[in-house]
Amino acid sequence: MTALAWAVHRLLAVPDQWPWLPMLLAVVLTVLAYVLRLTSFNQSHYAAFRLETKLRTQLSEHLARLPLGYVQQSGAGALAKVLMEDVKALHVFVADSTPLYARAYVSPVLTFILLWWLDWHLALVATAILVLGVAVVSLAMRNSGEMMHQYNRAGENVSRAVVEYVQAMPVVRTFDTGTATFGRYQQALEAYRDIVTRWYRMAGVSSRLSQLILSPLPTLAALIWLGGWLLSQDHLDTGVWLAVLLVGTGMAESLLPLMSLKHLVAKTQMSVHRIHEVLAEPELPVPEKTAAKTPENASLCFEQVDFCYTPDGALVLQDVSFEVPAGTVTALVGPSGAGKTTVARLIPRFWDVTGGSIRIGGVDVREMLPETLMQQVAFVFQDTFLFADTLANNIRLGLPEATLDEVMDAAKAAQAHDFIMALPQGYDTQAGERGVFLSGGQRQRITIARAILQNRPILVLDEATAFADPENEAALVAALANLMQGKTVLMVAHRLSTIRDADQILVFDQGRLVERGQHNGLVAQAGVYARLWHNYEQAQDWALTGEKV
Amino acid sequence: MSTDTPSITPLKETWQQLMRGARGRSARLRASLIALAVAAAVQGLALACMMPLFQSLIPTADWQGALPWLLTMSVLMLISLGIRWWAQGFDYQGYTVANTHELRTLMGEQLRRIPLELLQDKRAGEVNATLLGNVDENLNYLLTVAAMMAHALITPVVVALVALYFDWRMGLILLLVFPLLIPLYRWRRPAFGRGMQMLADANQRTSSDILEYTQGLPVLRAACCTGEKAAYLSGGFLELEKIQTIGQQKGAKPNLILATVMELAVLLVVFAGILFVVQGSLDIALLAALLVIVVRFSEPLATFVLYAKVIDIMEAALGKIDALLSIKPLPQQTPAQLPDSFEICFEGVDFSYANTESATLQGFNAHLPACSLTALVGPSGSGKTTITRLLMRHADPQKGRITIGGVELHAIEPEKLNGLISVVFQDVYLFDDSILANIRMARPDASDEEVETAARAAHCHEFISRLPEGYQTRVGDIGGRLSGGERQRISIARAILKDAPIVILDEPTAALDTESEVAVQAAIDALVRKRTVIVIAHRLSTIAGADQILVIDQGQLAECGQHHKLLANQGRYARMWQAQQSIKAWHFTSSEGVVS
Repeated sequence: MTALAWAVHRLLAVPDQWPWLPMLLAVVLTVLAYVLRLTSFNQSHYAAFRLETKLRTQLSEHLARLPLGYVQQSGAGALAKVLMEDVKALHVFVADSTPLYARAYVSPVLTFILLWWLDWHLALVATAILVLGVAVVSLAMRNSGEMMHQYNRAGENVSRAVVEYVQAMPVVRTFDTGTATFGRYQQALEAYRDIVTRWYRMAGVSSRLSQLILSPLPTLAALIWLGGWLLSQDHLDTGVWLAVLLVGTGMAESLLPLMSLKHLVAKTQMSVHRIHEVLAEPELPVPEKTAAKTPENASLCFEQVDFCYTPDGALVLQDVSFEVPAGTVTALVGPSGAGKTTVARLIPRFWDVTGGSIRIGGVDVREMLPETLMQQVAFVFQDTFLFADTLANNIRLGLPEATLDEVMDAAKAAQAHDFIMALPQGYDTQAGERGVFLSGGQRQRITIARAILQNRPILVLDEATAFADPENEAALVAALANLMQGKTVLMVAHRLSTIRDADQILVFDQGRLVERGQHNGLVAQAGVYARLWHNYEQAQDWALTGEKV
Repeated sequence: MSTDTPSITPLKETWQQLMRGARGRSARLRASLIALAVAAAVQGLALACMMPLFQSLIPTADWQGALPWLLTMSVLMLISLGIRWWAQGFDYQGYTVANTHELRTLMGEQLRRIPLELLQDKRAGEVNATLLGNVDENLNYLLTVAAMMAHALITPVVVALVALYFDWRMGLILLLVFPLLIPLYRWRRPAFGRGMQMLADANQRTSSDILEYTQGLPVLRAACCTGEKAAYLSGGFLELEKIQTIGQQKGAKPNLILATVMELAVLLVVFAGILFVVQGSLDIALLAALLVIVVRFSEPLATFVLYAKVIDIMEAALGKIDALLSIKPLPQQTPAQLPDSFEICFEGVDFSYANTESATLQGFNAHLPACSLTALVGPSGSGKTTITRLLMRHADPQKGRITIGGVELHAIEPEKLNGLISVVFQDVYLFDDSILANIRMARPDASDEEVETAARAAHCHEFISRLPEGYQTRVGDIGGRLSGGERQRISIARAILKDAPIVILDEPTAALDTESEVAVQAAIDALVRKRTVIVIAHRLSTIAGADQILVIDQGQLAECGQHHKLLANQGRYARMWQAQQSIKAWHFTSSEGVVS
């Protein structure tokens, strides 16, 4: 632009000559500016892409090493959001703000210097307008921190209400004769609207004013007025004036990018914070490879185990000691919240014990490599999870070298072969989005097939038969029977009849191991187990009756 | 602004969608957009004033001659700014917010009306949630973008027109150069769309990969293959990066060309001007004025194409909103009728879910007398749940009729129908609100006492009273601390409070431990008194006392009758019953495995 001004200046001075040099300069500078801008834009984007990949890889690897309990507590969805959305937000920041930074800081400074060098009167005016604009902006921004906070909160409420509303739609419909649930959604929306409206109203005038002042028009007008007057007084050279007019508005204009930059940074900060939080979560301590031990047999032993979820929280398990000899069946029973599931989940180190120790084959689980630990123990949990892959691959998960025959054998033992073969694509059927088209019992049997294929000496079952319908249940029970052959078994069970003949029944109540023994002895004790057994029989006998009975 | 530039036809559609989206505020929105265009035009005039102004100042300054132009210019600028101020009032006076609010409300209501079948799909649910959540983000920048586009398009054209008067050659060049933008813009826009689509797909894929990974972590860990899966995942990340990079490269070059073309066009104007000046056929003052003006345009013109992105986003959002709003609710027959008895009839019902080929129900017939207990049994996937869903009218059957008290479902108003039926599901959804509010949801006008009575009947009063804040305890605060049985009892309390004549129980005790089960059973006993009850239960002993047992198999009624009769039939039910009895006796034993 300066070059252009120079060109005109030369033109004024020497009216009938081609101003080659400055014009060439103008062309070159234009092209150069664009090439540079493009390169910087590309570079910043590439860098941002790389950063995204790196961060995500790092995060996913980190997640794999964190206590599983953390993953469960935070919720898979929330963690996925950090990996996806927050990292993306960071991308926007890196890629788009870097060029913005340059424009927001470099160009006003250059303009400023140039202006003062050209003519101080005009520079003074331009600066004055800029100062006025900044003053109004800061007026507009006053209280914006507080408002921003409220706004964000209202926004979060809205998205929560929306998710709740959409997810709960079947419930909303059945329980909603018009008002209640929709009211909740509506309330969140209204609160949001009110806050935004208030914000707009409050900041409206000053924000619009600042936009006006910082738009090029006022600066331009002022420069023309003053310049015109100075010209007429012969205080100013025409060429200089033109140059000032060409570059003069740069300062005010670059302020707007600066403002959007601020906004961007504020938005990113939350994301950075969340990413950092996940990365700062301590990993599960793993022993040195050389110091790692391997268990001697398939026995399992809890020694005075205390456990609480948070350092200052209540003890969920207290002084729990028991032993499961290799090749025996031990059942955990107790009212809900007694800590049975926690016991089951401490073994694969979802969390580490707060006090005491858990030993497998005489070795503390914390002194084993995670791989070693997992090779000892197979788990069948209530919550079955299938990956978006073929059924065969879901069964051979973790054992990619298993042949299809082996997979089929496992599936047969798990009573899954028949229904898999009945599917149009058999073992190549894709387990759809989380395997939704398979029934709970079918999915459960696939998980059991997985465990059978894994063939590990210790087996932990958590409510493995909870979701089965009668016909599935028979199959499921057969599958479990095949799975349990010759294994050390620890099972959490509600259906007490299934565990009547367990070698050992451990009864939990409020985090303590209160009774242990075999079925008959425990019933005779007339304690917690006897009460549970009584309840169980009662529940079994429950029958809904119609009005006539 | 598209009204003023009809040459950009693709915008016309957007314009109409916008106006539809603006609903009651469309007049104000239209006025605001037009005002922005006018402001841009006036600004063009103001800038054009520089031409005569400069003529009187250059080469010799004539302050007297310049003054009127100076004044005119200033006044025009003020007018332009004033109009823009008013137009932006659409944002600042809360119209925009009110508008998004109304749209969201509308969509919310729409979600309640459209066939529930369409929402059962989890992905669809997510899509709608995002849509509702992002309405404001998608539409709030409308005016800002419109203002920028008006500046980039209208202002230059006005200046050019004025320039025609002063020097027709310069005016013509200006007029020819700036419209160049439009074909360029059109050339680029579809490419933008494609690029965005590709990127969105890649993001979607990565997103679901990540979700699967985090959800499946426990399993992966147990299978010792976190490493593999993580490798697969980072493969996906790399793929995404590649697509992003390609998108960037593909997008960058044409953008560079576009921007450079615009810059060069500005330079071209200047060169031509200089040429004319050198030839002596153009007043240098005019050139100076044009130079100052034209430089103003280069930036908005160069970035103009980038706005296409924003417009695409808005357009996509508007399109989706339109699509959602245009889904037809299930037909409602007039005049609306209300049943006065509550026997239920299925007559020759055929039904298949959308996107599936096989029929879920085929020629299903059943009669459920009022105040009777009917059990639906059958293997999973046989259509039991579908039957209850059809009764709740999540969807309409393709053939046959369903009646309550002789009245066809589609003759009953949806709200009334909802009022007739209580459902207790296997998994309970509690809202993040107080327990009191969660129960009262069933009947908002119920007094605290009525809520408590219902809670007592559902056997939850006791455990609720033990909570730190009793009925005021927020469910979200204690989240996991409510056991499955407690949550289930709260949902039963809801159903009791609702006091609907028809009750559907879908496996309400399946996921409970024994102690909870006893309590929930007692609660259910309280709920089902004197009602028409449909129960889905896997444990056949539970429903042995039912007035009627319907055995469903592959969408058809296989058997029907009371327990004893069905046992005597030696059919499907008898087999299921025997299977279950044998499981009852099944138990684990020591090391040799299992005996049964």
